[in-house]
Amino acid sequence: MYYSPTLPILTSRLRLRAFVPSDVDAVFDYRRREDVTQYLTDPPMNQQRCAEIVGARLSQLSLAEEGDKIFLAVERRSDSAMLGEVTLILRNLEARQGEIGYILHPRHHGQGYATEASQTLLKMGFDGAGLHRIYARCDVRNAASYGVMERLGMRREAHFREHALFKGAWDEEFVYALLEDEWRGSIGRSLGDR
Amino acid sequence: MKFPCSPIETKRLLLRPFERTDLDQVMDYYALPEVQRYLDVKGRDRTECVSAIEAMSRQRRFNRPGDVVSLAIVRRNDRKLVGQISLRWTDATASQAEVRFVVNPDFCGEGYCTEAMRAVLDVAFGELGFHRVFARCGAKNRGTAQMLKKLGMRLEAHYREHALFQGEWDEELHFAILDREWQRGGKVKELTTHLVA
Repeated sequence: MYYSPTLPILTSRLRLRAFVPSDVDAVFDYRRREDVTQYLTDPPMNQQRCAEIVGARLSQLSLAEEGDKIFLAVERRSDSAMLGEVTLILRNLEARQGEIGYILHPRHHGQGYATEASQTLLKMGFDGAGLHRIYARCDVRNAASYGVMERLGMRREAHFREHALFKGAWDEEFVYALLEDEWRGSIGRSLGDR
Repeated sequence: MKFPCSPIETKRLLLRPFERTDLDQVMDYYALPEVQRYLDVKGRDRTECVSAIEAMSRQRRFNRPGDVVSLAIVRRNDRKLVGQISLRWTDATASQAEVRFVVNPDFCGEGYCTEAMRAVLDVAFGELGFHRVFARCGAKNRGTAQMLKKLGMRLEAHYREHALFQGEWDEELHFAILDREWQRGGKVKELTTHLVA
């Protein structure tokens, strides 16, 4: 398998594009925050660490092997503000499974940007990469995050309780998922509604 | 981590390590497709079954995460091997384990699996001190799902088409129970029965 999206991808309000070195400051602006990292595996990052991850993301733009990740910067078209990042990960090649994730600066929460960007991720995954199932995970306390998953039409498939330790405490996690057929069906329905 | 070296006894069953002489009785169920699904050591024919039993007979203690303890489920009154049960230490920092089990379809419906599960959960949460034990089964396997629910395990996941199994899309359930949720009812009941008798 080989998939690499043609960039940038435009949605009604957003531009999804490859990372560029000058994104470091914008990434640091949200990656340093405790309220952003509390539900992430990554701890808050300093400027240098952000420069490293941006450096790595410059070339993380295709899926071929299990574990490959596409990282895209999310930019607002109206003012070119860098809002955050989204990712599509190839988790299982044989069963064509993928995972999506999104991080936006809290300043830009609550406006449907994560949902809008993630709809593009689903399209990339199902249409572009030919995935069969795409899932997303989050801490059960992160209502904003699973709100996005529900608006994307994903089903809650798992509610794990104390199945792992996360930052020194018991973890409780939701897994949401969507099958290719379900996604195509939901797109058909939303077109029919208009 | 020590696992009881001596066999575990329940009212009707004996859970003990596998022996070479178990071959014929294991072969009665081991190669069935619905059984093969969750086995680490494949055993589709006699030769494979011999190595499977040999591998399982060595699985007797936990030294590091990933280790498995496999036990044959033997009926005490006639020494019939009715199935097998195993516990895998999946995570050391979070004290997690997975329990897997197979009962020969010829012996299903007698509650043997429930009885063996109770004994293993007692050990897992008691002597072994696990925090959480989980079990998986195919979504179509309603009998097993029912049994796990009756044991007090909670349905935590229902995965659809998350993997391929023998060329077809798989659907899988995950059940789990925490140490504080486990009612050591089996043991208490047995003791009461014993005292009354």
